[in-house]
Amino acid sequence: MTALRRHRALTAIWGWPEGWRGLIVSVNHSDIGKRFILTAFAFFAIGGGLAMLIRAQLATPGSAFVGPEIYNQLFTMHGSIMMFLFAIPLFEGLALYLLPKMLGSRDMAFPRLSAYGWWCYLFGGMILIAALALGVAPDGGWFMYTPLSSKAFTPGINADVWLLGITFVEISAIAAAVEIAVTILKLRAPGMRLDRMPLFAWYLLVTALMMIVAFPPLILASVLLEVERAFDWPFFDPGRGGSPLLWQHLFWLFGHPEVYIIFLPAAGVVSTVLPVMARTEILGYGWIIAALLALGFLSFGLWVHHMFTTGIPHMALGFFSAASALVAIPTGLQIFAWIGTLWNGRPEMKLPMLYLVGFFLVFVLGGLTGVMLAMVPFDMQAHDTHFVVAHLHYVLVGGFIFPMLAGAYYWLPHFTGRRRIPLLGEAAFWLILVGFNLTFFLMHLTGLLGMPRRIHTYPAETGWTWLNLLSSAGSFVMAFGFALFAIDAALQVFLSRRSRRNPWGGGTLEWAMPIPAPAYNFASLPQVEDREPLAADAALALKLARGEGYLAEARHGWRETMAVDTTTGAIDHVVLLPGNTRLPLLTAAVTGGFFLCLLFGFYWLSLVPLAGVMALAWHWAWMLGWREDIGPVPIGNGQAAPVHHEAPGAPGWWGSVFLLVADGTMLASLLFGYAFLWVVAPNWPPPALIEGGVVSGLVAAAAAMAGAALARRTLTAIMAGSPRTGRFASAVAAGAQAVVILALLSLGVTALPPPQSHAYAAASWALITYGAVHALIALLCIAFVRTRIASGHVSSTRSLEPSVARLFNDYSGTAVLIVLVCVLAPAVVR
Amino acid sequence: MFLARASAGLILWAAGFSLLYGLHGLGCASDWNEVQVAGGTLFRWLLVSTWMLLCLGAAAVIRLARAAPSGLERRLSVTSAAAGLAAILITGAPVVLTSACV
Repeated sequence: MTALRRHRALTAIWGWPEGWRGLIVSVNHSDIGKRFILTAFAFFAIGGGLAMLIRAQLATPGSAFVGPEIYNQLFTMHGSIMMFLFAIPLFEGLALYLLPKMLGSRDMAFPRLSAYGWWCYLFGGMILIAALALGVAPDGGWFMYTPLSSKAFTPGINADVWLLGITFVEISAIAAAVEIAVTILKLRAPGMRLDRMPLFAWYLLVTALMMIVAFPPLILASVLLEVERAFDWPFFDPGRGGSPLLWQHLFWLFGHPEVYIIFLPAAGVVSTVLPVMARTEILGYGWIIAALLALGFLSFGLWVHHMFTTGIPHMALGFFSAASALVAIPTGLQIFAWIGTLWNGRPEMKLPMLYLVGFFLVFVLGGLTGVMLAMVPFDMQAHDTHFVVAHLHYVLVGGFIFPMLAGAYYWLPHFTGRRRIPLLGEAAFWLILVGFNLTFFLMHLTGLLGMPRRIHTYPAETGWTWLNLLSSAGSFVMAFGFALFAIDAALQVFLSRRSRRNPWGGGTLEWAMPIPAPAYNFASLPQVEDREPLAADAALALKLARGEGYLAEARHGWRETMAVDTTTGAIDHVVLLPGNTRLPLLTAAVTGGFFLCLLFGFYWLSLVPLAGVMALAWHWAWMLGWREDIGPVPIGNGQAAPVHHEAPGAPGWWGSVFLLVADGTMLASLLFGYAFLWVVAPNWPPPALIEGGVVSGLVAAAAAMAGAALARRTLTAIMAGSPRTGRFASAVAAGAQAVVILALLSLGVTALPPPQSHAYAAASWALITYGAVHALIALLCIAFVRTRIASGHVSSTRSLEPSVARLFNDYSGTAVLIVLVCVLAPAVVR
Repeated sequence: MFLARASAGLILWAAGFSLLYGLHGLGCASDWNEVQVAGGTLFRWLLVSTWMLLCLGAAAVIRLARAAPSGLERRLSVTSAAAGLAAILITGAPVVLTSACV
């Protein structure tokens, strides 16, 4: 087959229709990645516009430009948009677009999940923006502290918009994190061992794992606060045993790792672009990975430094102050590796490098003020002043936007296939750099002079006028810079001349393809023997186009890519990915309906879209798989491999594992909240504890264990070739899970005090609900397996679905036992 | 397995850090700092001994990490184990340096 014929055949398989139909059904990672990036920049423009309004208000003392109500919405939405609707989706988009290309794959592990994530992000973001346009946007600050955001002080729907809209968007983030982790671990090119993997993938792997652990506490906090607002369960009301500090703990358990979740992908861009600009290899590959791992862990031990002024004892302050200072070491190690790389190489001051220089300057300053703020006495003085605003912008703009703009200029030719127009980008860079420093360097001074953050105006006698005026002027200079960047990018897309392939001389695999990239990425998949395959073999792109790699044959309309052993990169199996479908859009729309029902208080009606989501999820899973065994298929180079339905450790299994890790973090956060309330919150012990319920608890525990054991029995029966036994065991397992749900609800209704009475009762009910929901999920999983056995989709070879159902039943059983121990402990101890 | 081994020292730090912070909250709430034992308080002895055990555990992880497969895996395992020990030493030091529940 000629290269052109192969291109046409693969494009027919991997492509998507033109126009609206393509928008609705496409699941291709390049398309979805671009959508994420464009949508993120659209939200960035909105968030930037809000920043201009904030600076216009603060430019002069006593300004009447906007009143306090609108100003509160402006700064809340500015922060929320930049954090949740810009930064995270932007790197998700870059990851979705680039990762398969860098790893030598044809797509992400779960293409439909990518598309679902984008639709959720779009719809969730639209809810927030619509609220802004209607004047009911969130107004309690981007971290929504209670009691300000509780019903008593925010009676309107402003806080609900944030809690539900952001949670909706978080679904997208968790989906992306699971997908990124599985793709990196499984969908690499054959031969790409972990120690041959591009650093960008290492950064994204650590980031994705951090997201899987960091986002659940925020989702839990949002759910608890929304339940408090909607149903008066007093988790955060100190009058009834709740604690506003619980919100702060849960929020910052997410919020501080979030800073590193934003920084690390951008640092990955630096580690990728900088060596190319310096015309050398990165220095300290292994050290950088070690620093990454250290950062990933240490960043979870810093959250209390946002709460230094809340009256926490000195010893606890000491733990977190030490960890906050310690985290500077792995960050510094990366900085030194980058400086060493520049020292080793022959750097060229091309535009991406210019942005990297800007990154060094701004980020290092932000890091230094971070170390200052990690010191408790200094933090006591600077807390809630504009010094903190300056610091966080130096870290986030320096650590995210400058590297991302470097990456944008580096990879734009890959997206567009065109070269940029000279000098416009340089002008944009200088406007952004000068404008940024004028805006935020001076803000350190206004902060040190005592100007609090989030005040809508100030009197002239404070002496802050000139500093604020100059900051505002700087912010507009910076805005002109970003506008020029947008114009430059648009001109490149629509008007510029064609670029040659690999214009920067990069050595990673994304440059081993035509630009702009074809829908299938690689005509055949490479065997990787080096960390920079293209540098090791300059003719690699040509060889792959000629079909000299793996999976060169376009057959049966299958979307095929290779899966490898997670560590060694040895060939494992062939993954057959799903094609274009409107299912992600439908599922996201129905999910959105669920959130809208909650937002407008139609709680009973929300059960309808919830049932719709479950039905669509069932259909989603049902569309995959076969009724017969396929056996090993030829993959080229004289080799054969099984397809993923017939191989252990398929991406679906790994995805389920990571999803359960996220779920386990949510349970751990809930248990932390329960313990925190017992130990720290005021107005304890509660007026009434659990009365009885031991029998119901024992029934629930026995049924949960039986459900898990029967799900295991289902799997072993299937593996042994006994579908009849498997069908019976799965049916009984589903029944056992139904018993768990009934027993848990019975325990709650008969033994627990009403959840509105005290935070103890509310937390106990939250635990019971968690257990019941997971028993329901386990029930659905095992019922699905029962149906699939009956329909012939499951066999001793095709056992992926029973093994996934076993995971969920095991998890549910364990979670129910933990929940029961916590809920029944007061009754047993008494 | 690669990732688990390469992160073992840091996982121990995360568990130890959570344990120290949890014990601190529990001890302060239960007034353990008012129970005198062997010239100190029960609270202080408990935290210091937990910290010392964690340090010993982290040292043991370094020893185990040296048995990891050679190459990047071993280097990462040893480095992260050393980082874990350093982190436990530094972030746990407040148990001997600061007041307990004030």
